[in-house]
Amino acid sequence: MSEKPLKTDEQLIAEFQNGNENAFVELVDRYKDRLVNFVYRFLHDMTDAEDMVQETFLKVYKNKHAYREIAKFSTWIYTIAGNLARSELRKRKRRKTYTMSALSFDDNEFTPVDPGKDTEGIVFNSYAGEEIMKAIYALPEPFKTIIILRDIQELSYEDISTILDIPMGTVKSRVNRARLKLQETLSYLKE
Amino acid sequence: MQNTDCTFICEQFTEYQENSLSSEIRAQVDSHLASCSSCLEIFQKLTGVIETLHKLPTLKASSSFNSTLLSRINTLNQETVWQKIYHSSYSRVAGYAIAAGLIFAIGINILIDPIAPMKSGTQSNFAGDKINPNQPTESLAAISDSSANHPVDSLTLQNSTITSQNQSMQLVSGKK
Repeated sequence: MSEKPLKTDEQLIAEFQNGNENAFVELVDRYKDRLVNFVYRFLHDMTDAEDMVQETFLKVYKNKHAYREIAKFSTWIYTIAGNLARSELRKRKRRKTYTMSALSFDDNEFTPVDPGKDTEGIVFNSYAGEEIMKAIYALPEPFKTIIILRDIQELSYEDISTILDIPMGTVKSRVNRARLKLQETLSYLKE
Repeated sequence: MQNTDCTFICEQFTEYQENSLSSEIRAQVDSHLASCSSCLEIFQKLTGVIETLHKLPTLKASSSFNSTLLSRINTLNQETVWQKIYHSSYSRVAGYAIAAGLIFAIGINILIDPIAPMKSGTQSNFAGDKINPNQPTESLAAISDSSANHPVDSLTLQNSTITSQNQSMQLVSGKK
């Protein structure tokens, strides 16, 4: 028996715009893990990341008619989530309650995620993985975003260009510089 | 310290790894890496970093994610309904109707019950008003006196006064 072909994201959002709430649920199921994965790399806190992703879906729900099929749904939702995550980061910096990036590396304290704390699938046993997470968090904001989008979310240059609203050439050079910066940071950490 | 050539080569690493360089530049990078140990080291470390990034564990949303989102949406919908009601033209019309009704009711009350303005001590302007303007003052004094001696009775009397001014007048008159 042949399986029903999957609807595209754009078809689902169109159905949701026409009042089908099940289409929205389908979009939530498709994107919740990806977005939690994305936002977590910014905030380094699972509860905050989930909260931010919920905010993202609420924005989609409230502003469903703001979406026009000139861009892919994925770039739209990543843009919303990215903006919320960056805004949260800025708030944190202002409040100075979470100053990891403002401190020197020697002062930075990486808090490993407790695997039993409602975080299915998170196991940071790898030293390299832990160090990389620490280094990503410490990257300057534009580099951090581009590394997360390209090397963790594995989005295309084209999608990143749309999400960040920068030319493709800039995306490529920024990815390169961000990777070099990350590599440089990790070399420093290993010393 | 990297020279200009090394800087240029490092800028090509991403596209070099993705095989998107022109054959000419690719050959340049190959040749440079074969002769420059510091660039080769950077390139190898970079490759290792990218591989590790791709292997980072995939996080998943918690099992309560959908139910929490649903309850937040329900709250949002309730707010939206109230906002719609508040901003709708029907609500404005209803508001005007209630205001008009209240004004009408107060007007009718004043017409039917002309003593009401006298409670504040002003004299009634109605021609048919035959009540002695001094009477309420005396009545209030009587209530005061009685309340000093019989608190329970006075409470009953005062309640009656609040409920119906006509009644209070009769009660006070009776006491007098």
